[in-house]
Amino acid sequence: MGLEIVSDVRTDYVCNLVRNGKREDGRGFREYRDISVERDVIKRAEGSARVKIGDTDVLVGVKVEPGTPFPDTPDKGVIITNAELVPLASPEFESGPPNENSIQLARVVDRGIRGSEAIDLDKLCIEEGEKVWMVFIDIHVLDDNGNLTDAAALGAIASLLNLRIPNERYGLTGENTLPMRDTPVAATMVEIEGNILVDPSFDEGNAAASSVTVISNADGTLSGMQKSGSGGLKEAQIAEMVEIGIEKAGEIRRKYL
Amino acid sequence: MYQVVVPGDFLSEETKRAGEGTYVEEGKVYASQYGIASERGEIKVVPLSGKYMPSKGDVVIGKITGISFPFWIVDLASPYEARLHVSALSGITREQIEFGNMSEYLDIDDLVVVKVMDVNALMKIELALQEDIELRRGGRLVEIPHTKVPRVIGRNGSMIKMLKEKCNCFIFIAKNGRIWIRGKEDDMDLASMVILKIARESHTSGLTDRVAEFLDSFRKEKERG
Amino acid sequence: MKEEIELIKDGKRLDGRGFDELRPIKIEVGVLKRADGSCYLELGDNKVIAAVYGPREMHPRHAQDAKMAVVKFRYNMAPFSTDDRKRPGPDRRSVEISKVCREAFDPVIMRELYPKAGIEVYVELLQSDAGTRTAGINAASIALADAGIPMKDIVSSIAVGKINGEVVLDLNAVEDNNGEADMPIAMIARTNTITALQMDGRLTKEEFERGLKLAMGACHQIYELQRAALVTRYNQNYESKKEER
Repeated sequence: MGLEIVSDVRTDYVCNLVRNGKREDGRGFREYRDISVERDVIKRAEGSARVKIGDTDVLVGVKVEPGTPFPDTPDKGVIITNAELVPLASPEFESGPPNENSIQLARVVDRGIRGSEAIDLDKLCIEEGEKVWMVFIDIHVLDDNGNLTDAAALGAIASLLNLRIPNERYGLTGENTLPMRDTPVAATMVEIEGNILVDPSFDEGNAAASSVTVISNADGTLSGMQKSGSGGLKEAQIAEMVEIGIEKAGEIRRKYL
Repeated sequence: MYQVVVPGDFLSEETKRAGEGTYVEEGKVYASQYGIASERGEIKVVPLSGKYMPSKGDVVIGKITGISFPFWIVDLASPYEARLHVSALSGITREQIEFGNMSEYLDIDDLVVVKVMDVNALMKIELALQEDIELRRGGRLVEIPHTKVPRVIGRNGSMIKMLKEKCNCFIFIAKNGRIWIRGKEDDMDLASMVILKIARESHTSGLTDRVAEFLDSFRKEKERG
Repeated sequence: MKEEIELIKDGKRLDGRGFDELRPIKIEVGVLKRADGSCYLELGDNKVIAAVYGPREMHPRHAQDAKMAVVKFRYNMAPFSTDDRKRPGPDRRSVEISKVCREAFDPVIMRELYPKAGIEVYVELLQSDAGTRTAGINAASIALADAGIPMKDIVSSIAVGKINGEVVLDLNAVEDNNGEADMPIAMIARTNTITALQMDGRLTKEEFERGLKLAMGACHQIYELQRAALVTRYNQNYESKKEER
């Protein structure tokens, strides 16, 4: 429940601004905050990236290790995505087992990667039925100032773009890189009093009744969607959000990936 | 002439007459409950189920579930607990009720007939003792959903009148679905059975006649046996 | 890479359905004695029971909301509900689904009428065949009404997906496991307002829009079934007793 504690005063403030066509930080409704993507920041990880969107700060580290495949896919590698909303990132995060928000975050990011088939799981097979590469994508939120989803998803893709396969460490031979086949990018929007705002700030995220994340690929196809929050949306609003989501993802992809 | 409705069913455009179990949206009245819609007077939906919500003036049977001086905590078969202040009793007994001896007057699990004096926005419920009805020993409590109480009472009290006569029992029906019966063991058995039957079949027609037949045939059986 | 299993033959799906056909739905209202409201529902081979407790006192106290009831939604799969036994207890998937389901009802439950109280919704999947969360939401709507929880509307839910390149309604497990996309939605039929939406897999924008329309239309059909189940449950008794006389 922590992330949903809403301060009425701040909600009213945000809604008032929106009614007058404004946002707290002066952005337009279709404008993202400043984004920065720093790759390969953690030497010990096989892939990593630190993404900042405005003041939101997310670090993603990818570890690759050999493991056993799932019984029904003996020749395919495994992707496991996890998100930690560590207490230092927000007064509302508590230590302890994953709560529904961190689980949702991880699963939505995972969905985008899986749906796009960006990682060729066949190439991660070491020995069919016995050994495959496990790709652990770990999202570490450092500062929650809204829109963790887009930052986490961008960090995940940026980490995977130059993924190293640590063959040497395990005495194996094989390709040391795994090129990605696609670049899914998440774009999250909220609806406030009939207006659609991209890249919600912390207060905007809390003030909004509904939020929708649209994950799309370089060719404009969708590889994931998630509506979240307590509101309802009309078909036309969702259609508009999909349009905007694909457009924004394209912009982000061109600039940062 | 009744109509079963579900939440979201459109009822009327006369928003001024919107009553219990409905809500108004964009100039129209809709049902907010699963229940029977009625449009005589108020446009309302009488729910077929749901919890008892205390409101000022209700006379109900409460069960003591806690003692926290100077209050007894009272369960009203509702999502909300109520409180009965010691002064409600000490006014009657004219004795000083203290922290240590509250249980001598009303103890955990005791039943009391109380009146709801106030319910505030935070759902704090204040009670007063209803003096004219006493739950003396030798009786028993039957609990039915509060939504069935009107059926057990019947139109103009016809059902409860019949029950009292044919079962030969003192019967007090409280708004929160708790019913106190007192009489001979056999009579109380009959009364309990019939009350539960009425609650189960409350939505059917011809119930009053069926219950009368049931009671009469039961009596005849007894007389024969 | 998913092997191309033939899921469509001569324009029909493996179970004989057309692209826009729902699986058979069976609904029973008020099946549990202890719960305040309940519903048993079958959607194809899915068997689900939903139960509602409340409004009742909410524990722990510090989780209470002074202004409105707090709704808890727990989606759970029984260990024997799937081919491979599912370990008992919540897993990450159930936690996410529980959240999505709870949020699907947030726009309709009139929580302000019960400050500080709790309303608990429990959905148990007894047998699963894809579309379990949609079956759960449909059953939960009825259980909430059965419990007398005041709501603005009934919520209906169904999934669409893509198999062998075609957008189809209400995937079963074979189709879901071998298909290209899966998109469950929840909707208020009266106002065409969408209260839950997820998509995984891959769809073009056009397929998404087509799928959404298909799903919304199906939700209207499901709403009629939900409504009928609730209304006839009392009317039937009324009619049969009338005949008795």
